[in-house]
Amino acid sequence: MKTFVEIGDRTREVEITERLGRLVVHLDGEPCDVEYAEVDGYGQAVLLHEGQSYAMSIAGGPHEIAITLAGYRYDCVLEDERERAANLAAKASNRGGGVVKAVMPGVVVEVLVEPGQAVEEGQPLLILEAMKMQNEIAAPGTGVVKALHAEAGTAVASGDKLITLVAPES
Amino acid sequence: MFKRILIANRGEIALRVIRTAREMGIECVAVYSEVDARALHTRMAHVAVRLGGKLPSESYLDIDKILRAARETGAEAIHPGYGFLSENAEFARRVEEEGLAWIGPPADAISAMGDKIVARQKMTAAGVPCVPGLVDPVDDVAIAIESAESIGYPIAIKAAAGGGGKGIRIVRDPGDMESAFRTASGEALASFGDGRVYLERYLDSSRHIEVQLMFDAHGNGVHFFERECSIQRRHQKLVEEAPSVVLDDAARAEMGRVAVQAGEAVGYRGAGTVEFLWSGGEFFFLEMNTRLQVEHPVTEMITGVDLVREQLRVAAGEPLGYGQDALSINGHSIEVRVNAENPFNGFLPATGTLENLRMPGGPWVRLDAAMYRGLEVALEYDPMLAKLIVWGATRDEAIARMIRAIEEMNVGGVHTGLPAALQVLMHDRFRSGDFDTQFLESLEIRSPEKFEGLVAVAAAIHRHLGARRRALSPSDAARGGWLARSRAETSDHVQRAGVHNAAAGSANGEMTR
Repeated sequence: MKTFVEIGDRTREVEITERLGRLVVHLDGEPCDVEYAEVDGYGQAVLLHEGQSYAMSIAGGPHEIAITLAGYRYDCVLEDERERAANLAAKASNRGGGVVKAVMPGVVVEVLVEPGQAVEEGQPLLILEAMKMQNEIAAPGTGVVKALHAEAGTAVASGDKLITLVAPES
Repeated sequence: MFKRILIANRGEIALRVIRTAREMGIECVAVYSEVDARALHTRMAHVAVRLGGKLPSESYLDIDKILRAARETGAEAIHPGYGFLSENAEFARRVEEEGLAWIGPPADAISAMGDKIVARQKMTAAGVPCVPGLVDPVDDVAIAIESAESIGYPIAIKAAAGGGGKGIRIVRDPGDMESAFRTASGEALASFGDGRVYLERYLDSSRHIEVQLMFDAHGNGVHFFERECSIQRRHQKLVEEAPSVVLDDAARAEMGRVAVQAGEAVGYRGAGTVEFLWSGGEFFFLEMNTRLQVEHPVTEMITGVDLVREQLRVAAGEPLGYGQDALSINGHSIEVRVNAENPFNGFLPATGTLENLRMPGGPWVRLDAAMYRGLEVALEYDPMLAKLIVWGATRDEAIARMIRAIEEMNVGGVHTGLPAALQVLMHDRFRSGDFDTQFLESLEIRSPEKFEGLVAVAAAIHRHLGARRRALSPSDAARGGWLARSRAETSDHVQRAGVHNAAAGSANGEMTR
């Protein structure tokens, strides 16, 4: 089975087949000789590759997996072939607009835009207070405010919708 | 010495105090909120008193509840740790009115240093150099804009009642002054109930260097040299070290002398820290923190002094018993704060459950932490999970040791600032000592590409094994999907291997989707 693993702005293709109880792995089409062992059932694992040992911690799954290795952290987004096709189709139908979501829990202090207002990329949309810090939430792209999902005083959780933007009519 | 003390705090600092107290044969009373019933400080104390409540205001900030806990458990003294009530003069006063010893400075010293304006006036009077700025706070935007012109840009706007880096704004362009003033003042009003702000010159390429002080109740005071805390972002520190590479012996002695002078000016007692801004060979008073600091361990590592033990001794009325001449610096120490934050996304606070942990160890590695597997990291409290501290005979040795320790450490389930610390420690500018308080913000934090391939492989295998486990668990509906896929793959494999007999062909026909 092929899995597409997105890390930052790069995507790797990992193919795993099980043969006689062993995992046969291809990375971006090339054979990749690895041995993988779980250590404790809580996410500690070790990967052996070309004579080197890589001790990792793995959390999450199946679509979002976070790996810590040598002090660094990697956030991986995983899709198999079917999921990839479905996600690409969904993205294509939603081009231009988008929903601005809260990246952390907090309280909306002030909304700086109104429905119907045209906004430019980087323009502050609202002020979100979290951890006693006020943060300006900026428009991710040029567009028009379609809907406000929060008002001043609204407490939001991480991932909650704040504002929906649509592509400008041109 | 006290027989029993109460620690009005949580997390690693509560544990830090408990550890020294236990070594001194002192019993500890922990207090805990609703969410901290299983916390490490609750478990490691001799006595634990439930305060209830989820919010800090219902627990660690509730003076009445804490004093009642002290009365009921017969504690003789209260250690406030840092944060929470540690710099609350009213609390210090109430503790002493109860007839308990306060393990901290006199209430008057706390209030003098807690109000930036009063502190500045006192320091100027005592001959301690201060940054150019306004003596009085302002709450009027027109006056602010006018005064800013006379102070000179860039300007730092600080909340009069603030602390810990919260509510500070930097304005470089006079055109931004009005909006920055309004935001800062609004933030100050929301956080502290006081919208007054204080304007001062912002010193570029400045370093944040602070001096550790300790005074007894008999008029003796010493300093334990400096800590370099310039690796910070939004005034929240990430990497601290002692000593600082920019101070020579003369500058060190001078800064220490001025810091002791600052403490004397407010009649100080106990542990405190005077923060200075160092810019172009000059230093200016920034503020005094009237408590034990988060980063105190680096000072302990280079001086061999347990600062909590000194706090307890001094609070019990013992004289220091040594002077400045008895203190010296041995080697170099670095601390990294392990905060629940996402360094790849502007260091925004991160939440989650600590699913797995691998702790670093080995020679001269110290981990002050109150985390454990299963800990739920929420936003109610400070995001600091742990402090990793190392000692080395030289700075280079300490840096190499810290990198090694971070590489050993795994915190699974929540983002931490460790990748950022690693990037700092490996950076040429940090290694050469040529950095300022802007350095961390100038970095783009990334995990190196070289591990990405293997990480992708591990992630895919993890998902594969997880799916297989679910498939094999009898109750799971995922089994069907797994079996169908693996049948399809087996037949793909057979095809690729070039097996084209009739049986395989018919199997293909039946089993592919």
